Amino acid sequence: MSAFAAYTIIGLSLGGIFSLAALGIVLIYRTTGVLNLAHGTMGMFSTFVAWQVFYGWQHPGWPGWLKTAVAVGAGLAFAALLGLFLEFAVFRWVRTRPPVVKAVITIGVLLALQSTASLIWKNNQYHLPIYIAPQDATFVVADVPIGANYVVIVLASLGLAFGLAAFLRYTSFGRAMRAVSDSPVAASLWAVPVGKVGAVSWMLGSLIAAIAGILITPFINFDTTSLTLLILDALAAALIGGMVSLPLTVLGGFVLGLLETYPTIWIQSLGFPRLVALLVIIAVLIVRNPRGLRVAA
Amino acid sequence: MTSRLMVRICVALIAFTVLARIPAGFDVGFQFDAALAVILGFGLLSLVLLTGYVGQVSLCQATFAGVGAYAAGMTASTFHVDYTVAIAVGVLAAFTLGVVVGLPALRLYGITLAIVTLGIALVFDRYVFQDRIFSWFTGGSGGWRVDSATVFGLQMDSSKHLMAAYIVLLALFCVVALLMVNLHSSGAGRRFRAIRDSELAAATMGVNLTRYKLLAFGLSAGIAGLGGSFYPLVAGSVSPQPFWVFTSLQLAAIAVLMGVRYVPAAFLGGAFMAFVPDVLTRFGHGTLFGRYSYDISYDWFQIVVGVLLIVQLILLPDGVWGDLRMRVMHARSAMQAVTRKRVRVA
Repeated sequence: MSAFAAYTIIGLSLGGIFSLAALGIVLIYRTTGVLNLAHGTMGMFSTFVAWQVFYGWQHPGWPGWLKTAVAVGAGLAFAALLGLFLEFAVFRWVRTRPPVVKAVITIGVLLALQSTASLIWKNNQYHLPIYIAPQDATFVVADVPIGANYVVIVLASLGLAFGLAAFLRYTSFGRAMRAVSDSPVAASLWAVPVGKVGAVSWMLGSLIAAIAGILITPFINFDTTSLTLLILDALAAALIGGMVSLPLTVLGGFVLGLLETYPTIWIQSLGFPRLVALLVIIAVLIVRNPRGLRVAA
Repeated sequence: MTSRLMVRICVALIAFTVLARIPAGFDVGFQFDAALAVILGFGLLSLVLLTGYVGQVSLCQATFAGVGAYAAGMTASTFHVDYTVAIAVGVLAAFTLGVVVGLPALRLYGITLAIVTLGIALVFDRYVFQDRIFSWFTGGSGGWRVDSATVFGLQMDSSKHLMAAYIVLLALFCVVALLMVNLHSSGAGRRFRAIRDSELAAATMGVNLTRYKLLAFGLSAGIAGLGGSFYPLVAGSVSPQPFWVFTSLQLAAIAVLMGVRYVPAAFLGGAFMAFVPDVLTRFGHGTLFGRYSYDISYDWFQIVVGVLLIVQLILLPDGVWGDLRMRVMHARSAMQAVTRKRVRVA
């Protein structure tokens, strides 16, 4: 029973990561029509920036929480700049192209960023993670100890999902973003700043990817490829939400996390979770034919 | 036999005779690259068929090549049959996988197909090619060596017979390329292009979508598998690394970069993809002006591919070969307009 509970906790925190990554994909897809296959890579790069600040620079005498805050802040700042750069340098110029062409462009982004990262940080596996909460802090719920870092992930994903939903619903800029996602042409006729909306969505999406990347570091031996390949699980969660719905995307992320974790009780395999993700994707696509994709594809 | 076909056959023959002689003076490393270029060329050619002709996105062409390589290598080293049989098995295995992948593709198109094929590439890379469960077939993440391959009873040693393998590969490539060019204007090719332009319109005109989409996936996978099944012969071993997910992504990127609608662009892309990284790793380090030391590794190649792909898609949507072709045709018609007194109006 306690093994089952432990796997549930791992699955839920993994699902939190998936839903975080998927939120960024859905946000960018809805407002700019770009299916961002480089989402995992962008998160990976920002995570490595944070890691570099955390472990690379010596600042003796600083308390631990300040070091963590500076590192995370640096990673997030880099992520926002990266998103802005990509919007202005690349995706602004291809706004009217078909979705497939935009998706192929993100493959170019993926390859370039991926190789830049492996050029800088080599293809090592890094075993020194960034802990947001103290490593040994635990909560005990019904005799099951839960690491604080797991709780942080679940809280962060739920908080960001609800925060993003509230932002889209109740602020005027959020309304502008939803207008652009419904129809860029109509929105621009109503003087909605379409370019600004695109820039902000890329920035936000990149930020969320970075948060997901930083939060996952305690749970994997992270290297430049494994975070990039997280894209498949994120896409699966996003497809469960139909590339439209934020609550369904988050739910999809958690369900996928559990689905990928429970088989590891019996099957010790690194690759098996990918198979689960692929099966989920195929099942969702064949059963549902997502609305948002149908409109744009 | 129309004159157009004759011209194409002549072009293919000339290309073969010229290209077959080029790597003869190279050292072993570059001869391996030459053979690898044709193998990758097959992968790109399969994308010309699937994406350029039929308009289906695929991010798992290296997986098809990998399945061909594993099936051929397995057949050759386990049953000690002639390698031609192994190649047939490899192509058949890839064709079968292609049809299986085509099944979900019947209901998908555009970016959803990209997602599913990316997933397939990832699952084969991380699970099928590497997992313990399949190690009886794949040899795990280390792969296995293929030695003692025989072709028509002749013993093939991978390092000594690279040229022979290259020439056989090149001949096959020319034949397949010729068939592909011919396919473009055949009945099946017209149906393929109708599917590319609009599936709905094609179905309305009586094109059997199920049959032709599955056929396209099968043929494309078979072409990729034909190239891949030579890999054990050329490299002397099979391992997951050459067929991992990033190779699939690179194939897609380079196919689009070179011009995904054109057959010659496939060979150009294969040569680019095989030679440039090797040249970079061999000669890419030293010192500039005696002061600045530089070290250009394989990673630089992938950065360049990514950046070039982005620039190309923004500026030259039809790829490098498509752009060159258009320029040549414009120049030719301009020449004709100048030299001929009367411009014939079509």
